[in-house]
Amino acid sequence: MWEKKPVLLIVLATGVILIGTIITMVLPFAWVNTEADRIEGVKPYSALQQEGRDIYIREGCNNCHTQTVRPLVSDVLRYGDYSKSGEFVYDRPFLWGSKRTGPDLARLGGKYPDAWHYQHMESPRAMVPKSNMPDYGWLSANQLDPQVIQHKMETLGFPFTAEEINALKGKTEMDAMVAYMQKLGSDIPWRQNAKTEIVGDLTNPYAGVGHATMEPWEELYQQNCAACHGEHMEGVIGPELIGGDYDDEVLFEIIYTGIADGGMPSFSNLGTDKVWKLVNFVKYYHLGEGH
Amino acid sequence: MENRAYNYAIVRSFVTWSVIWGLVAVLVGVIVSLQMVEPDLNFPPYLTFGRLRPIHTNAGIYGWGVGVIFATFLYIVQRLCKTPLWSDKLAKFQLWFFNATIIASAVTLLLGYTTSKEYHEMEWPIDVMIVILWVAFAINIVMTILKRKDEQMYISLWYMLAAIIGVAILFTVNAAAVPASLFKSYSAYAGTNDANVEWWFGHNAVAMALTAPPLAMFYYFLPKTTGVPIYSHRLSITAFWSLIFMYLWTGAHHLLWTPVPDWIQTLAMGFSVMLIAPSWGSVFNGYLSMNGQWHQMRENYLVKYLILGITFYGLQTLQGPMQAIRTFSAFIHYTDWVPAHIHMGTMGWVSMISFASIYFLIPRIYGREVYSIPLANLQFWLILVGQLIWSISLWIAGVLQAGMWNAMNPDGSLTYTFMETMVEMYPYWWARVFGGLIYMAGLVVFIYNLYMTVSKGKPLATQTASVEGRA
Amino acid sequence: MDLGSLLYLGVTFGLFVIFVLIVMRTYSRKRKDEGEIAKYRMLDDD
Repeated sequence: MWEKKPVLLIVLATGVILIGTIITMVLPFAWVNTEADRIEGVKPYSALQQEGRDIYIREGCNNCHTQTVRPLVSDVLRYGDYSKSGEFVYDRPFLWGSKRTGPDLARLGGKYPDAWHYQHMESPRAMVPKSNMPDYGWLSANQLDPQVIQHKMETLGFPFTAEEINALKGKTEMDAMVAYMQKLGSDIPWRQNAKTEIVGDLTNPYAGVGHATMEPWEELYQQNCAACHGEHMEGVIGPELIGGDYDDEVLFEIIYTGIADGGMPSFSNLGTDKVWKLVNFVKYYHLGEGH
Repeated sequence: MENRAYNYAIVRSFVTWSVIWGLVAVLVGVIVSLQMVEPDLNFPPYLTFGRLRPIHTNAGIYGWGVGVIFATFLYIVQRLCKTPLWSDKLAKFQLWFFNATIIASAVTLLLGYTTSKEYHEMEWPIDVMIVILWVAFAINIVMTILKRKDEQMYISLWYMLAAIIGVAILFTVNAAAVPASLFKSYSAYAGTNDANVEWWFGHNAVAMALTAPPLAMFYYFLPKTTGVPIYSHRLSITAFWSLIFMYLWTGAHHLLWTPVPDWIQTLAMGFSVMLIAPSWGSVFNGYLSMNGQWHQMRENYLVKYLILGITFYGLQTLQGPMQAIRTFSAFIHYTDWVPAHIHMGTMGWVSMISFASIYFLIPRIYGREVYSIPLANLQFWLILVGQLIWSISLWIAGVLQAGMWNAMNPDGSLTYTFMETMVEMYPYWWARVFGGLIYMAGLVVFIYNLYMTVSKGKPLATQTASVEGRA
Repeated sequence: MDLGSLLYLGVTFGLFVIFVLIVMRTYSRKRKDEGEIAKYRMLDDD
C-alpha cells in the first residue's frame, strides 16, 4: 500500500525515525544537565580560559585528544578520576573526542607547571621525544582581542568583570591556551582525593646497589624526568637534582605523590618498583662507580 | 519511452564533480596520514593535521559520497519513475550550489572556522547552505516521484526517500547553535547533551548518507548489471523498515563508558546488535540474487565491484555491532582500530558501490563504451589491496595499543606510559600511508579510464545498450 | 516488578508484535505475486 503512495511512505518513515530519536536523544534532556547531575564547584570558564578553548577548537586539537576519562582501571590509573556529567555543563560544544592519538586531557589541569606547557607547545619533541604533535609556538605571535572575547562571553552568558577583559590586553593566544589547559578537569578536588597515603615504613629495596645495576634505569629517568630536570639532572623547568640531600623515603614520597603546588606531577602510576629505581638513580647514580 | 527527454546532462556533471572531490578527499587523506608520522609536514596555521583532517572527512562524505548520491539518484529516479526530472533548472542550481558549498566548506575549514563536531564541522553559514542544497535536491526527487508513470515504487526509491528525510532531521537538529559572529557559534546544547545529540547525528549520518543511499544504488544497479531481478522484494521490505527503525537508537554506542546515562548506552548496545539482522537482510538479498549467476563474477567486472562492495557492507555491519558491545568498546575505543573500521566502510563498501555505479552510468550518459575493462580490473585490485593494507595494519595497531594501555604490573601499576604505547604505532602508520597511496593509484586509474572513455571511447551501438557493463 | 520494568517489557513485546504483523502481512500467500512484481518491472525501464 505504502509502496504506491510516496507521501504515506514519507510520513511513515518520519514516524519510524522519530521513535528512537525521541527516546534516546530528546528524552535525556529531562535528566542531563539538571539538578540530578549538578556538581558543586564546577565554574564557567573565565574569559582567558574560554578563549583558549576556542583556540583549541579552531586548531582541531579534538582530532587527536579526548577529554573524557572512562570508569576503567587503566583509564583512571593513567589519567585520574573518571569524568562526571556535571563537569561539562558549561562546555559548548562538548570536546570529548573520539581518538587518542595523543593522551586524554580531561584531567590535565594542574598536572604540570605553566612553564612546561609553554615549552611543550613551542616544541613538543623537546619535551616528549618521538611525539608527533605539531609545533604551536606561533600562537605566541597572535595578540588577543579583548572586545571580541567580551562579545563571546556575553553570547555564552558567562560572568566576567571589566578588569578581567582589560587584563586580556597584551596577552597572546598561547597564554589563553595554557590557561585553558590548566583549567581542564580541575573544578572538582579529585587530585586531593586521589592523593596516595603512604602507610607503614618505607624501605629502599635497592639500598646500596652498584653503579652497574643502576645503569639500565637511566632510560626510566630520561623518559619520565629529563624533560623538566634535564638530561643530566642539571635542572630546566624543575630544579637541579644533583646535590639534593633528601632521605630515600622522602624522595620516594615526592616522586610517588608529586608536589601539588610545586608543579611536580605524581608518578604513582609507574608503580612502587620503578619509583624506587628512580629514587636510587637520582640520588646515587651521578656519584659514580666509587660510591 | 522517449529517452531524450531524460536529463542526463545533470548526471554527467555530478559524476564529474563527485570524482574531483573524491580525489581531493583521498589526496588530503594521504597528506594527513603523512603528517601523523612526520610532524614537520605540518605547516601552520593553515596546513596542520587539526585543520586538514576535517577537510579529508568532509570532502569524502559530502563531496564524494553525496556527490555520487546526487548523480545516481537523479539518474535512477528518472529511470524508475519512467519520467524526466521535475525541474532541470532546479537540478542545475543544485549542481552549482553543491560545488559552492563544498568550496566554501574547504576554505572556511582551512581558516579554522569550525564547530569541532565530527562530520558537522562547518560553521553555521555553511550549514544554511547545506540545508538549502538538500531542500532543492529533495524537492526535485519527491516531485519526480509524484509524477511517476509506474505506480509501485521500487526498493531504491524507498531508501532514497528515507535518506532524504533522515538527513534533513539529523542535520538541522545537530546544527542548532547560537552565533557569536559570522564564523563562530556555540552549540545550542551543552556537555553531555551536546555529546548525545552529536553522536545521534554522527552515527545516523552513517545510516542515512552512507548506508541507505548506497543500498538504493545496490538494489538498482545489481539487477541491472546481471540482468536478473533482486532475489526477494518482500525480504527487502522487512529489512528496510527494521533498518530505519533500529538505526536511530544506536548513536550512544560512540559514547560507551562516558558520562552519558547508562540506560541510553545499554539501548544503543542492544539495538546495534539487533541491526545485524536488517543489514544482513540486504546482504543476503544481494547474494541470493546471484543464484546461478556466480559465473558473472569472472565475466563482468561490475558484478565484482558490487558483490565485493556488499560483502564489505556485511563485514562492516558485523564488526560495528561487535565494537558497540561495552566490554569490547572498553578495550578498543579511541585506538586506531576505529578509523580502520570506518575506512572499510568508506573505501570498501560505499566507494566500491560508487565506482560500480559510475562505470554503469558512463556508457548510458555519454553513449560511449567504457575505454578499457582491463584498466577497470586493475583499479579494482588496486583499491581492494590498498584498502586491505590500510585497514588490516590499523586493526593490528589498535589491538596492540589497546593491549599496552591495559597492561599492568603485578603491583597494580600500569606497565607502559602513554608515549611507550604511541611510538609502537609508527610502523603501522607508515603502512597506512602505503595503503592510502595504493588506493589513490587506483583512483587515478579510474579517472584516466573515465577521461579516455569520454574523450576517445567507441560510440555505443544502440542494440548493446542494455547489456553494456558485461565484459 | 515495578512500573518501569512492566512498561519496558510491554513496549518490547509491543514492538515484537508489530514486527510479526509486518512479516505476516508481507509474506502472506495471497500477496505473493503482487509482492514480487516490482522487481521484474524495474528491469525494463528502457
